[in-house]
Amino acid sequence: MISAMKEIAGTLNNTHVQDWKKNGGHVIGYPCTYVPEEIMHAAKILPFRLRGIGTKNLSIGDTYFGPVICSFPKCVLQLAGESGYSFLDGAIMVNGCDSMRRLDECWRKAGEDYPGTLPGFFHYFGVPHKVTDYSLAWFIDEIKGLIIHIEDHFQIEITKESLHKSIRLFNESRKLLQRLDEIRIRETVPITGEDALCLVIAGFAMPREAYNKALKEIIDEIDKSQDIMDGKKRLMLAGSVNDDPDFVRLIEESGAVVVTDALCYGSKSYVDLTDEDEEPIASLARRYLSHSFCPRMFGCYKQRLGYIRQRIEKARVDGVILQNIRFCDLHGSENGIFERDLEAQGIPCMRMEREYGPLVETGRIRMRIDAFMERIG
Amino acid sequence: MNRETTEYNYAWMIWSILDHAAKTYDGSPKEYRDLLDLVPHFDSVLDVFLKQGEPGRLFLKLIAEYTENCLHALQRGKKTCLTSFSVATPILYAFDIVPVCLEAYTVLGTIVFKRGTSQFLDHCCELGFTETSCSAQRGALGAFLANLAVRPDFIVCDSPGVCDSNANSFAFASAYLDIPFYQLNYPSTLTGKRAETYHRQDFRNMIGFLEEQTGTTLDQDRLAEIVCETKRQDELICELTEYNRLIPTPVPALYDLMVYGAKTMMNGTKQLTELLEVMVKKVRDNAISAIAGSTSTREKARALLCYIGHYTTDARFWNWMDKNDISILGSILCTFWQDSASYAEGRSDEGYHIKDTDLDAMIDSLADQMSRMPMIKSIRGPYDAPNMWLEDSIGMARLLHADFIAYFSTVGCRNTWGSVKLLSRDLEAQGIPSLLLFVDAFDDRVASWESITGRMEEFIHVRGITKHSHTRYTA
Repeated sequence: MISAMKEIAGTLNNTHVQDWKKNGGHVIGYPCTYVPEEIMHAAKILPFRLRGIGTKNLSIGDTYFGPVICSFPKCVLQLAGESGYSFLDGAIMVNGCDSMRRLDECWRKAGEDYPGTLPGFFHYFGVPHKVTDYSLAWFIDEIKGLIIHIEDHFQIEITKESLHKSIRLFNESRKLLQRLDEIRIRETVPITGEDALCLVIAGFAMPREAYNKALKEIIDEIDKSQDIMDGKKRLMLAGSVNDDPDFVRLIEESGAVVVTDALCYGSKSYVDLTDEDEEPIASLARRYLSHSFCPRMFGCYKQRLGYIRQRIEKARVDGVILQNIRFCDLHGSENGIFERDLEAQGIPCMRMEREYGPLVETGRIRMRIDAFMERIG
Repeated sequence: MNRETTEYNYAWMIWSILDHAAKTYDGSPKEYRDLLDLVPHFDSVLDVFLKQGEPGRLFLKLIAEYTENCLHALQRGKKTCLTSFSVATPILYAFDIVPVCLEAYTVLGTIVFKRGTSQFLDHCCELGFTETSCSAQRGALGAFLANLAVRPDFIVCDSPGVCDSNANSFAFASAYLDIPFYQLNYPSTLTGKRAETYHRQDFRNMIGFLEEQTGTTLDQDRLAEIVCETKRQDELICELTEYNRLIPTPVPALYDLMVYGAKTMMNGTKQLTELLEVMVKKVRDNAISAIAGSTSTREKARALLCYIGHYTTDARFWNWMDKNDISILGSILCTFWQDSASYAEGRSDEGYHIKDTDLDAMIDSLADQMSRMPMIKSIRGPYDAPNMWLEDSIGMARLLHADFIAYFSTVGCRNTWGSVKLLSRDLEAQGIPSLLLFVDAFDDRVASWESITGRMEEFIHVRGITKHSHTRYTA
């Protein structure tokens, strides 16, 4: 069953998306965990988290973006320009970071040059960088604006009841993934970090009902599986967005298992739940804005350090890999302070800058991981 | 960092150099000329400013005083606040807080020292910064983190929502130094009730933070005094912009740097008012004589910088423009969006208006001012949205009759590099030649000064800028 999830994680227009479209369903892409997926689900639209997998070059991405921009949004734009996202009926742009927020303009302009590559529904979703009563009020208004736009464009009503239902459904996914976390951090570990990442990615790329059902069965299966540790080191992976299972496999091939993480394609996307009893929009706003896991939420370093420490302790890791995509200064710089503070507590860390997209620096990365493994060995 | 570098306090060196520089023009012209031979490392940069006459002398005195205030704040029992250039200082001065502007310190070191701030840029990376982080902050921050400058008591930055790289540097400093941090956060829109309410609530929250940090409450009388001063300064800056509309412009190229440099550091102080009055007088005299503000009094071309200038060694960028008779009509850093500014005409909701009727009015006015500071206003939202970068750039180019627009930046600027190619394309479509330079305004190691001037000369030649420029209007 994991292989089916791996297939989904490795394919952009996967079979679930194809089936969804065949049945007349709409799909909306979004790039960041600060977008409440429940809104789209409540509108009977498939939320699909944008990725840049399978890019062969950046000819389109480099045409619109400048030279010193993270390759993640560039890869997304490249795929869009090559009609890789032709299955999208809409896209929501977010100011997750400066590179990401400029995807809004670059995609719109590319859409003028490559007709048909800009989805009919295109929405800018502004997320504040702090948590206060007035930023929460702003965020609530943003959610309401998104709801109105979706309702108008797709001619569908998003009711309170449907939102409550979606909240419960997505919470169920998060609880399942939390259960997977508990299994991963046991003394005997039955699943690789690579496979665990595939399970998380699949959730962002397929209908949630089917996902929860499959995930439950897979977790039950994993729960009974054999230990794979065999003397390997227990690692934590943290930092920039990573939806590349090959990258995790590369790490694990050096004699380690990634048993926990602090990634937005990982624990940061499911560690907290949405309150199911509160008014749904306010509840979603509170959950999505209040989790300050991303360094885009400035001034919350201590909370993030606390989160990482807590996961390190629970998972009893031997070391932490702090990676960032080139030009991702938010994660890259914060990784520097994480390294200082974690090393001071005797937790071995390795900082690594890498490129997003197809693994083109395997040799360099392997060498660095080997050296790190030797250090903690 | 070299051991030699660690032997000297960066903030002290900057102050000491500026303090001495500001006094050099107090003697006779002959004494000044002879003195230049005695300061071979600083003669060029000194002369760039002092050849402006009284305005240059006053500018040096102003920044010398500013750096002196920063350096001795602790001894005088004052709180220091590490800020960004886009934080409007009046509210800090109203609390008697000394604003230590990080970018100002970077610019000063970059311009004054032959070696620039490379040691500090690199030191930041040694401490954990990415090599690609913005050099505008890293340049001086390395010194602050190495305890070779003023120890700030707390941090206020207003770039979240506008510039990640900038905000990230301040967040890093807060985490690294373990000092309190307040961020003014801006939504992607500027106008409308929703944005206005957000700006004002955030600003009021900041006042609460400052009260907590200083243990005092906002002094209404002091605030009123500063607000009045700010009003006067706004009028003077607007007058300078008006003069920039003349062909040839009577405004010297260096005034671009002087206006925003001084406003960044001393906004709301009497010293800034005095400086601006002298600058306006000089420009008015030039206008009456119908001469350009350049040293030669001629104008061959009119340049508008859609972003920032280029700050490396000896202010040579401004000197080069001056020597080539290319007027600098301003940059994103010169547009403050007072509602009386000519570029705000017909765009009243984009400008701010200073009211001093009561405390609330003053606080709201300053919040409005802060939310329209350079960069904060125009690159917070999509570049082609109303009130944003494209509209402002085209508006300024048309208003000031620019022959071309040039983009200088830093390699750390994700925000503008993410959309500047689109901006350039749109400007060209509007018939405005635009030059994109891949350089770092604070680090010559990215692109040498020689390569930059080569590219500018080539652009001006190939696009026939001087040939078709406003030379014909020169007196």
